[in-house]
Amino acid sequence: MGQYLPIVAMIVLAALFAALSFVASSLLQPRRPNPVKVSPYECGIVDQADPPERFPVRFFLIAMIFIVFDIEIIFFYPFTQVAGQLGAFGLVAIGIFAVAVFESFLYLIRNGALEWGPVVRARRTRLRSEPGRTSSTTIRRVGSEGRADSREVAA
Amino acid sequence: MDPLLSGEIGLTEVLIVLLKVVVSFAALMVGVMLMVWFERKLVADMQNRIGPNRAGPFGLLQTLADGIKLFFKEDLQPERSDPFVFKLAPYLSLVPAFLVFTVIPIAGNFSDGNDGVVTLLGHETLMQVANPQMGILFVLAMSSVAVYGVMLAGWSSGSKYPLLGSVRASAQMVSYEAALGLSVASVLLLAGTLTTNGIVAEQSGWRWNLWMTLLVPFVVFVIAATAELNRPPFDLVEAEQELVGGFHTEYSSIRFALFFLAEFMNTVTMSAVIVTLFLGGPEGPIPSGAPGWVQDYLLPLTYFFGKLFIFLFVFVWFRATLPRFRYDQLMDLGWKFLIPLALGWFLILTSLKVAEDQGWNPVVAVAVTAAVVVVGAVLLRSSIRAASGDDLDDVTADVAAGGES
Repeated sequence: MGQYLPIVAMIVLAALFAALSFVASSLLQPRRPNPVKVSPYECGIVDQADPPERFPVRFFLIAMIFIVFDIEIIFFYPFTQVAGQLGAFGLVAIGIFAVAVFESFLYLIRNGALEWGPVVRARRTRLRSEPGRTSSTTIRRVGSEGRADSREVAA
Repeated sequence: MDPLLSGEIGLTEVLIVLLKVVVSFAALMVGVMLMVWFERKLVADMQNRIGPNRAGPFGLLQTLADGIKLFFKEDLQPERSDPFVFKLAPYLSLVPAFLVFTVIPIAGNFSDGNDGVVTLLGHETLMQVANPQMGILFVLAMSSVAVYGVMLAGWSSGSKYPLLGSVRASAQMVSYEAALGLSVASVLLLAGTLTTNGIVAEQSGWRWNLWMTLLVPFVVFVIAATAELNRPPFDLVEAEQELVGGFHTEYSSIRFALFFLAEFMNTVTMSAVIVTLFLGGPEGPIPSGAPGWVQDYLLPLTYFFGKLFIFLFVFVWFRATLPRFRYDQLMDLGWKFLIPLALGWFLILTSLKVAEDQGWNPVVAVAVTAAVVVVGAVLLRSSIRAASGDDLDDVTADVAAGGES
């Protein structure tokens, strides 16, 4: 484990540097917080909405697909170190393994798991054929959330 | 393995280790300072501006002045933030940035099969801070830890722009990490070792991986590294027109300075990793008659920093030249082009190596693998077309048949 001694020393030095910077900065800086300064950044508007807790599910999908590839890479690294000794057996084994992973990758792509572009045209063609889809079901008033209702104001 | 730390570790060994750690720490800080200046000055030149020219000769001390200024700025903590994680995130970003550089060999004589061992204060050692057996895995591990710094910084701010920036950042860094890892696998196949010292020693005598791996892994690595660093044209993480400042929008004062420092340090260390993996690190022609210090230090250091400088220039050049990607283009490039390409190339190189070892006809072996790879590419292409809806006829046929498209 002696080989890791310099790395430990570097961790300590880097963490110490960051910590000392915080100490020095906290001694030198002014402290005059006010409600506007500590509110979340919102381009000058007073922030009213809660911080978003939801984001597109595609980001989770990416994380899960990444695990598949990470596992593949994890198997490749030991193989690179013993490729010479394994010879033909290793080549065939890694080929079968790569094909298995690649096949699942193709399945994901074909199902649109990695589609980020504008709304898929294919989806529109399917929706167009639905009989219940009329102007009253698809048009939605936007931008009225949070505003005083105009009729109430008039009354 | 570093011969210095193989035997018993006494006081002298510890002192040499500390010397190396402190020197590389100082060199990194100065290097980052110069890198920030270089980037601003070069981008200014490319955009027909003057750039920093007030602090010090040619504005060299501008970065230092900016850093000192940030010490005196008020450090705000947003009311909706998570206090502990908000303070932890800069450490998670900065410490890995320092650590990657520890495994980079920067000097030592690697010509004619030498293994780069130098004598320092009467002890044999390597001109790199550490040479653990995991070597290049350590670099990949640290670049993974750095994702946490970005992710947690955005999440803990309790504000929408940082959250969006950090979610984008983690998806982007994770995607390109796969391409990065696959292109490194090609290098490891040729090197047969994970230690950075071994990878450099194996490239001795102009057997640079740049052409030994037939260029493709190098191109994939440089593109993936640019994305991993969140540098333009892949800087969607802090796309200021959409996300204000990205994951560090809510950070001010010294906390922001540490993120900034980590970002530029990562640029320097990633360039050093490229040089180590593909351009033979400090390797280069060394006349055998030269005195020891020229062979061990002067020439290798010159070669290393010369190669490093090329990539630093290239990263700035990218920034000044290329417009930012759209997010779907970024994801498509990573997943649908770079990862399959790196995977296919790895398989071709594997068959070439095994054919050489077994005495098969290399042309036949490569042709068979290439055929398999081409079949894979055709399948991939048809899948992409099916998913993106270009094959409208197929889809409408599916719908007409009552199938799910």
